[in-house]
Amino acid sequence: MKAVWQLWLQPWKKVPVLAVLVSLIWLGAMVTFCFAASHQVKLSALAVGMIAFGSWFWHVGQGQILRELCRPESFLMPYFTRRLACAAAINLTQWVLLPACISSLLGLPPAWLIAAALLCAAALGLAIGCGRRAGLLIWLLFIGAGWMPQLAAQAWYAALNSPLTAPLLLLIAILILHISLRPLLRIDDRETEASPLESMNLGRTNDTGGAPRLPRSAFNKRIGSLFDHTSQWALDQALHSYRQRPGSAQRLTLIRRLLLPHDNPLAIALRLALVACFVTIYFFAAIHRQHFNAAVVGAYATMLALTRFPQLGRGMQRMRPNLADLYLTLAPTTQAQYQKTLADALLILVPVSVLTAVAYTLLGIVLVHAAEPVQMLTTTIIVTTAASLVALAVHLIGPEGSFGRGLVNVVVIFGTMATYWGGYWLIGALGYVFGGGLMLIIALSFGISVWFAAQREYQRRRPCFDAPVA
Amino acid sequence: MSTPAEWPIAIAKPNALPLADEAPVLRVAALRKSFEKRQVLRAIDWTVPAGRVIGLLGRNGAGKTTLLRCLLGLSPIDGGKIELFGEPMIEPAGERMHRIGFVPQSFDLFPWMKVRAYLDFTAAFYTHWDHPLTTRLLDSWQLDPRQKIGQLSQGQRQKLAIVRAIAPQPDLLVLDEPVASLDPQARRAFMAELLELMRQPGKTVIFSTHITADLERAEADIALLRDGRIQFTRPLAELRECMRLIVLSRAEGWVQAPAVAGLLKANIKGGDLQLLIENPDMQNLQALAAQSNASLRIETPTLEDLFVELA
Repeated sequence: MKAVWQLWLQPWKKVPVLAVLVSLIWLGAMVTFCFAASHQVKLSALAVGMIAFGSWFWHVGQGQILRELCRPESFLMPYFTRRLACAAAINLTQWVLLPACISSLLGLPPAWLIAAALLCAAALGLAIGCGRRAGLLIWLLFIGAGWMPQLAAQAWYAALNSPLTAPLLLLIAILILHISLRPLLRIDDRETEASPLESMNLGRTNDTGGAPRLPRSAFNKRIGSLFDHTSQWALDQALHSYRQRPGSAQRLTLIRRLLLPHDNPLAIALRLALVACFVTIYFFAAIHRQHFNAAVVGAYATMLALTRFPQLGRGMQRMRPNLADLYLTLAPTTQAQYQKTLADALLILVPVSVLTAVAYTLLGIVLVHAAEPVQMLTTTIIVTTAASLVALAVHLIGPEGSFGRGLVNVVVIFGTMATYWGGYWLIGALGYVFGGGLMLIIALSFGISVWFAAQREYQRRRPCFDAPVA
Repeated sequence: MSTPAEWPIAIAKPNALPLADEAPVLRVAALRKSFEKRQVLRAIDWTVPAGRVIGLLGRNGAGKTTLLRCLLGLSPIDGGKIELFGEPMIEPAGERMHRIGFVPQSFDLFPWMKVRAYLDFTAAFYTHWDHPLTTRLLDSWQLDPRQKIGQLSQGQRQKLAIVRAIAPQPDLLVLDEPVASLDPQARRAFMAELLELMRQPGKTVIFSTHITADLERAEADIALLRDGRIQFTRPLAELRECMRLIVLSRAEGWVQAPAVAGLLKANIKGGDLQLLIENPDMQNLQALAAQSNASLRIETPTLEDLFVELA
């Protein structure tokens, strides 16, 4: 039992905040059950909802922990899988069986229906935590409900009364658990590591927080190989160009190809095409019948383009030990010169982000048949330029810890969206010349001054080649 | 001069170790393993008797890590059979896991855990866990139990991996270049612990390393992995006894090496002809020296010399 106890303890050690919050939700649900028993039975439905919500979150955390625990070396620990199964049984009792039994005693639908539904919620959370896309299946329900709300309501009542619902939910839960857990419990050769600064936005962004990479699907492997080909092609081109004319611009391009392998023209085009495909599918599946505010779509496009910067911040930290090699290769006269070279190389991300945001906005304009496409595009260009400069600046000199970095990301994202809406309104109210001009002056002057200040600070700092603390 | 393909390695028979009374700890037959199209292990046959220290030698990329991981079921194999403690090793499972300790080449597990929490976590899975040994090693190897694994240096992580591997007092200890990241003090301390462990009956160690001095200190049996096969497994003392480095020197130099019985490798360096020979016939060599008008010098090669010549 000691091993099971240790396994049960892991969420409290790895994700203590989540563990405390979710436990409070569970306790709250139990109190609600007690209250429902003595006062109002209808409240037990609320308690089941709380359990489902808490269970989903709890299992997202459990999935993340499982991803880290289930390394091949862990299977050398005696009866590792058996003990995992025991810990899972305790989990099942806490989050599925006990609430189902209590709610059944209180007169809610049959216990097995609630148990199957709660198991489904747990399986979906676990799938998300394990990094499997099966966890996104829940969105199919929401998409369907949003598409045909009346039919969804009818289906909901029919499902509540159908004897087939519970076995169907059970089967779905088992299928999701199988898809999520099988790769973790199978011993495979490790996937090769990718550069921390690669960005495909397709699940190979090195954002695993130290967890082992899951085996990639055939589709992801093919896309990854396409991106790698573009990186190699761009590097070859840069080398060729540098050999022919070894100037500072060619040298900078070469550094960019090394630092940002997936930010070459071909890779950018490929990324845009892929995102456009996914967004179009999502749009037609989810929102084509609804009216969407153009400003929301534009702000969302800008936000999507800015997601590159948090990954850059994490990647630069992880790259630090390897950057020593670059430092020695470049052999700069001063450390400030090296820092400047890096900052200059990374500055390419600003036009890349603007281009990306413009492409996404154009797609949004086409999909929602926006009434003011020029207004959206103008706002996008100005806001994304300023926001990219700020985002790059804060990731160059910003906080190192994950909490501080997360906070900065939230501030940048929300600030950008607010600026977008403000700018959109300003252009609408004052026209392109005055409104646009005012926004251009305010946003760009802010962005450029933040960037120059950050660049100066970055050059003042000594280069750091220490590996980041895990 | 002979080429690698021509070396008469076959004279050093595989599995030439005298078998102990008890069943072998490990038996491998026709083991094959490839990564995509690159074949790393080609039909490996290998038997490791109980109670021995085996030093697995091989050049970089020879497949030592792959072989060790395959033996423990940590890497899927393409073909062949592995038996560990008399049972087929299809997956790492069962009671025998209590008897196995493993130190991976690089330890990157659970960076969020603290050292003490990691050891407590692991100890919970084992029926035997030497807590006093753990405490003593943490103290003498200056590992702070309150530090997170992610904050440890590579060498400290390696020390932690060693503590974790030997604390359950395993019957089979598999170590994949365990001392590569250790400082000389830690290396010596580790070797002392290893030798202490080996004093207990029935303990077996398979140990891949490039530091041949450690294998000499442990009086290990040497297994050489080359071209995807175990070329030989022989006790170090036997290797020392039968291998000789013969140096024939003459002013006019050498065009090619003469044919000599038991020749494993020949090198020409200026006026010196160096011959690595197994079980040399001294009378024949003296006759050859006289015939060639050369002086004869006989040396006992170190393990490192043997590794350089044979691997």
